[in-house]
Amino acid sequence: MSNDGSLSQDDAFLFGSYECHERSWDEIFQTDGRPQPHSKVLLDCLSDLTTSTFFERRALADLVFINQGITFSVYSDRRGVEKIFPFDLVPRPVGGEQWDRIEAGLNQRIHALNLFLHDIYHDQRILKEGVVPSDLVLESKGYRPEMEGFTPPGGQYLHVVGTDLIRDPSGEFLVLEDNGRTPSGVSYVLENRVVMKKVYPQLFQQCRVRRVEDYPLQLRNALSSVAPEGASEPPCIVLLSPGPYNSAYFEHSFLARHMGIELVFGRDLFVHNNRVFLGTTRGPQQVDVIYRRLDDDFLDPNAFRADSVLGVPDLMKAYRAGNVTLANAVGTGVADDKAIYPFVEDMIRFYLSENAILHNVPTYICARPKDLAYVLEHLDSLVVKAVNESGGYGMLMGPSSTKEQQQEFAEKLRANPRNYIAQPVVSLSTCPTWTDEGLAPRHVDLRPYIVSGKDRWVLPGGLTRTALVKGSLVVNSSQGGGSKDTWVMETRP
Amino acid sequence: MISRVAEHCYWMSRYLERAENTARVLEVNQTLLLDFPIPMEQQWVPLLIISGIHDYTGDPDGEAVQNHMTWDLDNPSSIISSISAARENARNIREVISADAWERLNYYYLWINSPGALELYSYNRSEFYNRIKRINQVIYGISEGTMSHGEAWEFYLLGKYLERGCQTARILDVKYHMLLPRTEQIGTPIDNAHWVAILMSCSGYEPFHKQRPGTDPGISVADFLIFDSIFPRSVRFCLNKCLLAAHAISGRPLNRPGNEPEQQLNMLVSWLNLIRIEEVVQSGLHEALTDVIDRTHAIGKAIHGAYFTLGMRQSLGLASISTQSSATLVSLA
Repeated sequence: MSNDGSLSQDDAFLFGSYECHERSWDEIFQTDGRPQPHSKVLLDCLSDLTTSTFFERRALADLVFINQGITFSVYSDRRGVEKIFPFDLVPRPVGGEQWDRIEAGLNQRIHALNLFLHDIYHDQRILKEGVVPSDLVLESKGYRPEMEGFTPPGGQYLHVVGTDLIRDPSGEFLVLEDNGRTPSGVSYVLENRVVMKKVYPQLFQQCRVRRVEDYPLQLRNALSSVAPEGASEPPCIVLLSPGPYNSAYFEHSFLARHMGIELVFGRDLFVHNNRVFLGTTRGPQQVDVIYRRLDDDFLDPNAFRADSVLGVPDLMKAYRAGNVTLANAVGTGVADDKAIYPFVEDMIRFYLSENAILHNVPTYICARPKDLAYVLEHLDSLVVKAVNESGGYGMLMGPSSTKEQQQEFAEKLRANPRNYIAQPVVSLSTCPTWTDEGLAPRHVDLRPYIVSGKDRWVLPGGLTRTALVKGSLVVNSSQGGGSKDTWVMETRP
Repeated sequence: MISRVAEHCYWMSRYLERAENTARVLEVNQTLLLDFPIPMEQQWVPLLIISGIHDYTGDPDGEAVQNHMTWDLDNPSSIISSISAARENARNIREVISADAWERLNYYYLWINSPGALELYSYNRSEFYNRIKRINQVIYGISEGTMSHGEAWEFYLLGKYLERGCQTARILDVKYHMLLPRTEQIGTPIDNAHWVAILMSCSGYEPFHKQRPGTDPGISVADFLIFDSIFPRSVRFCLNKCLLAAHAISGRPLNRPGNEPEQQLNMLVSWLNLIRIEEVVQSGLHEALTDVIDRTHAIGKAIHGAYFTLGMRQSLGLASISTQSSATLVSLA
């Protein structure tokens, strides 16, 4: 794919100078420069664009984002700093058949995780049989003794999961982590799609992209289906947000509007006779389901952190009395504890007697002395992660770290091995992304969203996060990553 | 609707209205002083009193008072405090007010915190106050045209007109504080100039003369600003709007007040409908205005009780109310 020197920069063919990353799987091109089979249609359409028309489309897209205030805030920036989530206009294609396999794998995984949560808070069969070490579970920060012996309405723990997938150099999708507490980002998927439809209306038909727009409705239906017994019809569902200074507040407000439910803060709710009420101008209204975007710690100052002003006093009492559904359930943090993650494939075998469809990234558990010794030996080539952090915080990227950073992490590891895992660096797949030098390969991951009520539904595609810095493997929005629309394209005729 | 949302909407509107009224009073006083020599202690201090500031210890001169009333963040009724509080309330209900209104309000908030605003203040004071007045007018205009006219909108109106009615009463009362007119001064150019200034601070100069051609200002200005039925800043007009908003919120017919705010508004509006200015003057204008101001405060309290805070829990027979009030931005009024 050489650049045609006779064309000026502006008229240049968009993919003219694109060169794949030498060690990574590329989402659009094969190593010989031909398109991946499912990308052919997409590439045929995009190839008609010149750089200058692409620029025009990009300007149009930026304008939509700025005007609609689609922003997020970053914790380390003191309040008020809102940033636009950088968005890239080249979609990330996934073939329909490939997706069907991913979907089956996600369904299987969430099913097993849900059974795991029920088990550890009841009979603890999996611990007794030694499949998962019980100290790892019982000492996990996410384990909540308050949940022992209690089954949430509908038996559902994980109403919304955002599983992070990556693709290794052989093209295989691997699970990087399971976000089973309050995963965010789905509003970007929906907004990205709106923008893409404005920018490339004709492409959607030609590429036969599966719809993502049903997400708010699917979530609403799922939550309704697991409302507690005796709930009103339709049940009163609210979205509990920590407030406008939370980094995901835009998403909270977005989802509440699209689901047609009230956006509430902790102080809007109160508990009386083990029932939860919403204070309205016409008096109290009983609440049946709370889609909470607040961590367990902050939910109820009388049960968890007493200094929380974001939560609702005695919410746990109402919950345990079976009068309100919390989504996700309390205590799911143990299922997305990075130290529990290595056992998910074992859980699938244990509960479902099936082999995992989607595999994990090989993981060293620093709580095991042998693993710890190996990790300390190889700090310069591994990724070390704190088990209870998210958003790319508390992480050591071995190959790009300094000796001092490695030293610092070695001390942390020795002091508290339970708190860390390590993984080999997987060279994430790349996707053509617009940069200052034209289209260039940038690393991407994929976060599909799985919604569970009585039934389970997987959003086709999900959030593709992309590193914007050349060679960087860090895609988190809080660390300067961007996003792409993910197109699951029908491959069958 | 959610009580907190109603409360934010109500206070956003009140603070915007307050900023406008503060700008009006400052601007008119500024202009008035150009024409008439008034003793220093009568020039600016009355403005503090009508804003409910009784503990001002600064310099009584114009620059100091204007600075305090415009820029002082420690003064909760200064213009900059009001705009900030309005914006903070709006920020919490971005999905209730329209995106257009939020963007504009945010823009003004950024403007008043920019060097450009301070610059305009120093070289063209009158234009500065005009711009401040326009903030409320523009946000109201955008909201009227872009926000659903449901319950939230009625709370917007309730806040707006309660604040405005109260401010008009306060502005009128300044006459009492400004010139305890000795009888021989009544009807002199200075006396008339004050009445005209009061009219102008309420944008009532032209409507007054249109409706009452040939009338000397004097006490009929008070009559106009308290009792006029169609002038949008008169006390009676404003409180009548509050009454309509309260009944729109509850859905009850006007003649059947059902909660505390409705009852109190009904009584005050009936009083305003029936009483005549002569009776008011007889029993003392200042006393009557003080009474009106106190009653609007009581209505404000009743609004909090009925819609925003206590009512909910009490109606379930809860003995103690332990959570802190959601009214983090409660005004001084």
